[in-house]
Amino acid sequence: MVSVCRFPPPSSALGPLLGLLAWLAPALQSADRAAGAPSKPVDFAREIRPILSEKCLACHGPDSKKRKAKLRLDVREGVFRVEEGRAVTVPGKPEESHLYLRLTSTDPSERMPPEDSGKKPLSAEEVQRVRDWIAQGAAWKQHWAFEAPVRPALPPVRNEAWPRNEVDRFILARLEKEGLEPSPEADRPTIIRRVAFDLTGLPPEPEEVDAFVADARPDAYEHLVERLLKSPHHGEHMARFWLDAARYGDTHGLHLDNLRVMWPYRDWVIEAFNANMPYDRFAIEQLAGDLLPGATLEQQVASGFNRCHVTTSEGGVIEDEVYVRNVVDRVDTTGTLFLGMTVGCAVCHDHKYDPLSMKDYYSLFALFNSLDESPLDGNAAAHAPVVRVPTREVLAEIEGLRQQIAGVEREVREKAAGFPYAEPAGAAPRPPEPKEVVWIDDDLPEGSKPNGEWRWVEEPVASGKRAHAGTASGLAQHFFEGAKDPLAVAEGDALFVHVWIDPKSPPKEVMLQWNDGSWEHRAYWGENRIDWGQDGTPSRRRTGDLPEPGKWARLEVPAAQVGLAAGAKVHGLAFTQFDGTLYWDRAGTVTRDPSRLGFESFAAWKEALRGAPGSLPQEVRALLEHDPSKRGEDGERRLREHFIEHAYAPARALFEPLHVRLAEARKRVEAIERELPTTLVSKERAEPRPSYVLKRGQYDQRGEPVERATPAFLPPMEEGLPKDRLGFARWLVDPAHPLTARVAVNRLWSQVFGTGIVRTSEDFGSQGEPPVHPELLDWLATELAGTGWDVKVLLRKLVLSAAYRQSSRVTPDRLAKDPENRLLSRGPRFRLDAEMIRDQALAVGGLLVRAIGGPSVKPPQPAGLWEAVGYTGSNTARFAPDSGDKVRRRSLYTFWKRTAPPPQMATFDAPSREACRVRRERTNTPLQALQLMNEEQQVEAARNLAQRALVESGATPRERAARMFRLAAARPPDPEDLADMVGLYEAQIAELRKSPEAAKALLGVGETKPDPALDPVELAAWTMVGSLVLNLDEVVNKG
Amino acid sequence: MDPIQERCTLETRRHFFGRAAGGLGLAALGTILLEEAATRRAHGAQEPVTATGGLPGLPHFKPKAKRAIYLFMNGGPAQQDLFDHKPLMADLFDKDLPESVRMGQRLTTMTSGQKRFPVAPSMYKFQKHGKCGAWVSELLPWTARMVDDIAIVKTVHTEAINHDPAVTYIQTGSQIPGRPSLGAWISYGLGTENSTLPTFVVMTPSWTGRKEAQAIYNRLWGSGFLPSKLAGVYLRSQGDPVLFLKDPPGVSPEARRRMLDALARMNRRLYDKVGDPETNARIAQYEMAFRMQSSVPELTDLSGEPEHVLELYGPDVRKPGTFAYSCLMARRLVERGVRLVQLFHRGWDQHFNIPSDLPNQCRDVDQACYALVQDLKARGLLDETLVLWGGEFGRTVYCQGGLSRTNYGRDHHPRCFTMWLAGGGVKGGVVHGETDDFSYNVVRDPVHIRDLNATILHCLGIDHQKLSVKHQGLDVRLTGVEPASPVWPILG
Repeated sequence: MVSVCRFPPPSSALGPLLGLLAWLAPALQSADRAAGAPSKPVDFAREIRPILSEKCLACHGPDSKKRKAKLRLDVREGVFRVEEGRAVTVPGKPEESHLYLRLTSTDPSERMPPEDSGKKPLSAEEVQRVRDWIAQGAAWKQHWAFEAPVRPALPPVRNEAWPRNEVDRFILARLEKEGLEPSPEADRPTIIRRVAFDLTGLPPEPEEVDAFVADARPDAYEHLVERLLKSPHHGEHMARFWLDAARYGDTHGLHLDNLRVMWPYRDWVIEAFNANMPYDRFAIEQLAGDLLPGATLEQQVASGFNRCHVTTSEGGVIEDEVYVRNVVDRVDTTGTLFLGMTVGCAVCHDHKYDPLSMKDYYSLFALFNSLDESPLDGNAAAHAPVVRVPTREVLAEIEGLRQQIAGVEREVREKAAGFPYAEPAGAAPRPPEPKEVVWIDDDLPEGSKPNGEWRWVEEPVASGKRAHAGTASGLAQHFFEGAKDPLAVAEGDALFVHVWIDPKSPPKEVMLQWNDGSWEHRAYWGENRIDWGQDGTPSRRRTGDLPEPGKWARLEVPAAQVGLAAGAKVHGLAFTQFDGTLYWDRAGTVTRDPSRLGFESFAAWKEALRGAPGSLPQEVRALLEHDPSKRGEDGERRLREHFIEHAYAPARALFEPLHVRLAEARKRVEAIERELPTTLVSKERAEPRPSYVLKRGQYDQRGEPVERATPAFLPPMEEGLPKDRLGFARWLVDPAHPLTARVAVNRLWSQVFGTGIVRTSEDFGSQGEPPVHPELLDWLATELAGTGWDVKVLLRKLVLSAAYRQSSRVTPDRLAKDPENRLLSRGPRFRLDAEMIRDQALAVGGLLVRAIGGPSVKPPQPAGLWEAVGYTGSNTARFAPDSGDKVRRRSLYTFWKRTAPPPQMATFDAPSREACRVRRERTNTPLQALQLMNEEQQVEAARNLAQRALVESGATPRERAARMFRLAAARPPDPEDLADMVGLYEAQIAELRKSPEAAKALLGVGETKPDPALDPVELAAWTMVGSLVLNLDEVVNKG
Repeated sequence: MDPIQERCTLETRRHFFGRAAGGLGLAALGTILLEEAATRRAHGAQEPVTATGGLPGLPHFKPKAKRAIYLFMNGGPAQQDLFDHKPLMADLFDKDLPESVRMGQRLTTMTSGQKRFPVAPSMYKFQKHGKCGAWVSELLPWTARMVDDIAIVKTVHTEAINHDPAVTYIQTGSQIPGRPSLGAWISYGLGTENSTLPTFVVMTPSWTGRKEAQAIYNRLWGSGFLPSKLAGVYLRSQGDPVLFLKDPPGVSPEARRRMLDALARMNRRLYDKVGDPETNARIAQYEMAFRMQSSVPELTDLSGEPEHVLELYGPDVRKPGTFAYSCLMARRLVERGVRLVQLFHRGWDQHFNIPSDLPNQCRDVDQACYALVQDLKARGLLDETLVLWGGEFGRTVYCQGGLSRTNYGRDHHPRCFTMWLAGGGVKGGVVHGETDDFSYNVVRDPVHIRDLNATILHCLGIDHQKLSVKHQGLDVRLTGVEPASPVWPILG
């Protein structure tokens, strides 16, 4: 692999700049110790291992295939190898150490790294460092992150008064070492805004600020933190970070990018954070909730984590290839999120830098490869395995209906048993009269699975309450199949449907299609446009012209004409049209099926039914076909009761209403169950799939078979743990695991402080950045594991620290010594994330709907963004915004189409959710400025912010401006700020008084209506001030 | 370079669109320098700071092309109906593709179950054109007229056989989502050369060939794991050309200016109080946004285009959103210093009905491609503008679905397909590479899509082996870890 130098040579293009910086920031110079000065102690982990990793390991590392001279510099044995009298490293003696000699050789063929390796040579400073390290005794340590954290002692500090908790002692010890002072504590409005954002993602209301400022208790801040940690919005905020990592989305993400219903998993994450679920359980349930003994519905939902990856069903894909990709995504995500390891390198070759072999990789792969699923998603929202997820209220409703059904059934049985019946004398079997059996009216038959766009309308309607509408340009179809009670076709039956053709837009053709196991039964009316089946046969039978538009008409066709013979059972019906608009209603059969007709005589009924049992239930049919003498009394009674209940003419008036009640209740249960959201879950196959090392990562290049196992360089799985995802998950959360706790606390740290203690949250391996506070990281990791993985305890520790509570003001000295604030000589200050910016605007405008959970929502976005990219046949190719409360939910609930993510989020660095991401960039661009100034909901929020100020505060412009400012920034404005705001207001009102129509236009932006009691011109003028406030750097940042 | 100038150029780097208004004190300057360096370190990248905001040492050598226009034919145009003339096929109509040609290579599951693989010869007439005598089919009469301006590469190939992975592969170097796009890499390496427009612009023109067009994905111009500011900016033909460009209704330009002035004053005071250099960066971004509010409408206003130019592009040029309109817009963009313009034209996935759909697709693009190249040439811009045309893979010689003399379709074919390049360091009048008689396998001069990407980078002055960024412990490159090389024979 060719690489590039990341250690800049001493005089690069930066040279002149460094010169300029020199007088601004003298401290920078001291970083470059002149060669020859007394050597300061070299830290192997921080200073030497990264050099070896970067410059040497590609050829002298873990990858056995690429290893040169059989030399490994990532393990102790290699670094201190002695061969033929030549030692790689002789502690204390650089001049005898070939490691050093080869770096400094004047012979280009000897000097490392070789010129053709693509690696740049070491800088003089780096060479010196290696020399110093050897001279100082060449202390060697295993890569820090692969050894279990040991709880460090708290370091001594000079300023004992400053630390508020353990975190601060580590921070302060380092600051003191670097000659930096901590900053003073931030003022209360600043700190409440900061901590409210960090714990709930939302700004505080001015009244909350006032209360906090006025709270004289010594532990006022602790009280505040407790309140915020208990807020149900805490879980929402925490979930958002997790969902980036879990690559949660509302579409499949590849090719068609159809809808995927997965939000119950998202809600599970929110709920888990709100309930402060211990992190070990949180991890186990997501990785293997389905495998827990007696897994609850919630635990199954959690296991959807393994299913969040992007999937495809693109025509032509090779299933095995997709299968491998899906599993690779699971392994990579698990590696990044829980292990902080870039395991993905080992898909194609042994890892070049970390001791992870291909065999290790495919052993992990074997743990995640046996889900009981099709690798292809079928473009279905519920890509099996799924579970249906009812709420408690819904469960109660279903239970009520079930009891109701049981009650009516009992009543029916009793009434049928007690109904008087005497065989009429001399009655003979008579030919049954045909009868209309309605199959579809207002709703689909029980059990049917609908497909295509079913649009029910209440006008026009042929019978009942509703009809379904079809509009098409070209071909369109909707259909169902799988009806529980199929239509039994009897000799001479006909099939019918009612249609109403829109006179303004008549279709060119309508087609009906029945399914008795095959769909090859079609009748059409009008032109012959739809090219299915073969014309002139039962598979495409022209049946007539289109009926007259503008009125209901009945389309009827004899079943035999479309190839449905007596005995056929129809369980599906398809409605197809070419162009135009029409309405469909009331469909069924005109039947001679005796089981559906009324009789006066039990004997006649039995006789009629013996030859043609029609759609009788299996039990009744069996009785009927028995030899009457062997039926027995019970059998005969059962048969008679069925006859009375279903076919005895005098009893119709009694039983039909009961049947209607039963059908309605059953339909309701079914409708509720059909509406229950599904969510993708993990489910293990009975037999694990075998796993192989795949050569070069190619799905069809199987190498040696591998067993399920954890990576060899990490502590082994305890005996007795099952060799499956559950065992893996339990291994992962062993408190002695070197990575899990460190990686988790590091992410929490970066959430609050902006950057992780290890900057590369996704990579704790040897190519990642070493921790800036290694002891603190270990202290926090042992704290997390030691408190039973209590996430809120850890977060509390962070936000209660003095380090967190510092003012974020930057002095030139601090900026010079700690430009990125990694040392925390000041409080964290950085731009809010995309979701926080939008949520804040909605909140301060009083628009935010704070409901928690539920299906994802679609706030407005500029037209055409989905259409521009979407596959025409995708069900997310066209964007239609929601309205009302739905568009004012927290951004966490915004529908995430992964191939065209919401622009308001993407512009502010939200990831596409196509792959696991554990940290976001924070950019600053003009597109962001345009969005905050002009985007519809931002403008609407600005207007509502203005309106709030007009309604909630005094009447003077200064009071109003002050209220607005406080709503967004928490603190009261400075006089100059007020002057700028009032100045803008005055200029605006002067302009708008002259053009009130402009004011009206501005107030028309957004869905909410302005308060009619307010002067529109005044409100419009203040709206511009509201926009000013929402665009302030102070407001889009956490200060 | 004087310090103020230096600062301005520094700001371009982090601000993507160009240089900011001056007026900050020297202290502020220092903080920006430091902060900038810090930000760059955050990406674990080479130390920053060039005049364009690109990486130091880039371009690696003097580039032939300053800019590029990439006309991407999404779906996979049928090479044997357009450029890769296979006269011997005429005699093999409906004969089975010999196993000696297919050699058991994998097929998509759309046709792998077919009982037969009957040869479908192209029904279009081919002729030799230009001084170079390149074969071009009658479907592309305009392209045929400019064969001496372009280099036709007949042997591009890939491994991916389905759209999503294939198009993700050619645009990001990986079949799996998550990597930066070609344009993001270029912006990352070279920075920007203009002060009022984005440096990487994307358009998605309309198409007429096949209604059920294959999808495209924002990731094709996304920044992957690089900062989102490197993503392509989507130039729309409906609504605001750039998202949220227009002021809300009722907000006059004067009002906007007043608001921005007040904003700058308040932000500046905040900076004085808090001292975070990011605040100054934000002030500059708002000024840039304000400038874009006039530069973008100027860009999209075609009223100044002379009639003969509009005629050159054909009647579609007057319809916003068409391919012709987008080509003209591409020329206007590169004229204004935009470095990469990408058009994603959809509808090239002709599994069936080539005779009815393919001519429409060709009509969409043919004249406009010609016009674009000629227009650039007439303005002296072609020499420094690389133009590319092509899709994510080719199509099979064998027929998918029913084969007749008048109707046929073709499945995806990754093993050889045709692209053309022009301008910016590419020799005209060149036909590169040869395929077998079936346009099935490459027989001479294969060009992997990695080589193609290496070529694009090369034309822009970038050594593809040296443009890398550390991500998850790896040095990631657009061209990946397999060997790749620019296609030297087509480079002038």
